[in-house]
Amino acid sequence: MAKNIGPLKLSKSSMNPVRLFGIETEYGIAREDTETADPVVESMELVRAYLDGHFTRRWDYRGEHPHEDQRGFRVSELAQDKEEDLFAEQDAHRPFSFHEMKSDLVLPNGARFYNDHTHPEYSTPECRSLKDIVAHDRAGERILWVAAQRRNEVLGGRVVQLYKNNTDFHGHSYGCHDNFLVSRSIKFENLVRGLLPFLVSRQLIAGAGKVGREAQERGLTPGGFQISQRADFMETELSVDTMHNRPILNTRDEPHANRERYRRLHLILGDANMCEYATALKIGTTRVVLDMIAEGFVPSFDLSSPVQAIQVISQDPDLKAVVNRQQGGTISGLDIQREYVQQARLVLTDIDEETEWILQEWEQVLHQLEQDPLQLVGKIDWVTKRWLLDSFVQDEGIGWDDHWLASLDLEYHNLDPERGLFFGLEGEGRTTGISQEREIQEAMKHGPVDTRGGLRGLCVQRFGEDITSIQWEGVHFNGKGGKLHLDLLDYLEPGSVADCRTVIQEATTPQEMIESMTVKNS
Amino acid sequence: MKHINKYVETVGSLDRKERPVDPLSKPSGPGDQEAGPKRPETGSPSRDNLMKRMRKVDPKQAEKYRQRTGE
Repeated sequence: MAKNIGPLKLSKSSMNPVRLFGIETEYGIAREDTETADPVVESMELVRAYLDGHFTRRWDYRGEHPHEDQRGFRVSELAQDKEEDLFAEQDAHRPFSFHEMKSDLVLPNGARFYNDHTHPEYSTPECRSLKDIVAHDRAGERILWVAAQRRNEVLGGRVVQLYKNNTDFHGHSYGCHDNFLVSRSIKFENLVRGLLPFLVSRQLIAGAGKVGREAQERGLTPGGFQISQRADFMETELSVDTMHNRPILNTRDEPHANRERYRRLHLILGDANMCEYATALKIGTTRVVLDMIAEGFVPSFDLSSPVQAIQVISQDPDLKAVVNRQQGGTISGLDIQREYVQQARLVLTDIDEETEWILQEWEQVLHQLEQDPLQLVGKIDWVTKRWLLDSFVQDEGIGWDDHWLASLDLEYHNLDPERGLFFGLEGEGRTTGISQEREIQEAMKHGPVDTRGGLRGLCVQRFGEDITSIQWEGVHFNGKGGKLHLDLLDYLEPGSVADCRTVIQEATTPQEMIESMTVKNS
Repeated sequence: MKHINKYVETVGSLDRKERPVDPLSKPSGPGDQEAGPKRPETGSPSRDNLMKRMRKVDPKQAEKYRQRTGE
């Protein structure tokens, strides 16, 4: 029984054409009936379980450029390339190709669902409002769980379990990335300066909480509780890498939009959230800070060591720690966040309803974190998890270094509604919802009406059998006279999306759709 | 993906009852103690249910859980 608090009255579309965002989530996957399960096969089979028929390769990888760097260069290799090569060698004996293994699907809601690095990954369609991004993030959970149920029917038991978390407690992390379309007119160095202190302290709102400490490829050191799942895995401020040498601010330059006009900010430091409220504030506050930077905002300070700071803040759930400022003196994570929200009120001149909601909730969360964090149980994941574990520690008379706590931490994120601890809380009415149930179910079937994500999904719904290749920026179809291409690169603002939507809905064939589009655009 | 309606029926049984509240009709700010969920009570039936669910978790579950590094 989730308590729903909105933002219910918010209009679904902002008039800001570049206000687009999405979330990619890599899920953990486990087979409980065998210790010899092949993770490559398990992830592949899970994705395919969502299909009615056979898998047909349609995803077009030509739009992906992970070696391009926002700082204006291209790297020759990524830190993970050697490990990837090693895995490719190990995977070579399998009786299926790389593309079959990936099993990339584009769903009728415009989302991408595939096997990424042996993790089932769900990428939401592009969204323009917090209401939509939360509904689509939750829709992703439901779609993954439905796939698991179908896979379990084949396996004959409830043996496949999925986890929306970011660590295996043995030093292996997997990500939940949030993405924002940003104007290219903002210099990248201004984005870095404006974002770093905010991102280092964003975990106070969006951390999922974790017991113990880890480091890349090293096991768990039990004891204690920290705010973030990913902080232990942040090794540098800026980098194009994503699997090793992970950065606070990823520099991959892969805009999936007109490269001359836009960047895609690809943030890999975040935790996967179970609380809808935390998802809304994670995306909302980041979007507000990007709006501030677009208006010329520069923070009044820089952090001496952002990487050290993110870990210091994470390891202090009592929120007493301070971190060093380059300009001298120290500052707490709470005060960093306060500086941003206070400046937002001064810098942003045109505050719409959604932005006002974000600012009010942001201020209140910071106040409650300081005064009475338990008010945030069911809203902020790390507070919720800490309360659950603390209750358990007291009831069972165990210590914070007991290994049982890591298992409970993991189970907080279990997608099985009968086992997951978060879902247990939700069932008891102790969580705060943003989405209505009908909105989540709608998001499982349809993309947002005001973004190209919805257009992509509509193409899958209307002409799925005719699609020969598809990706973020466009769709190729088989037509009577040959190949047809729907270029979605510039469908970023609501008006053009609405026009394109009407054309797709009215056309009876891809040919007719492209012809109508050509007439409209001529 | 014709099966989608069947899926929705399947997951529609998940227990997620709605109690919508409009945040904009009652602005919440620092010091507004009525906003947000109530402090969790100790000894309540729902807390007992949660503890029961937690006690069922295999203490070795995390030890057995292994993943490859992702992004």
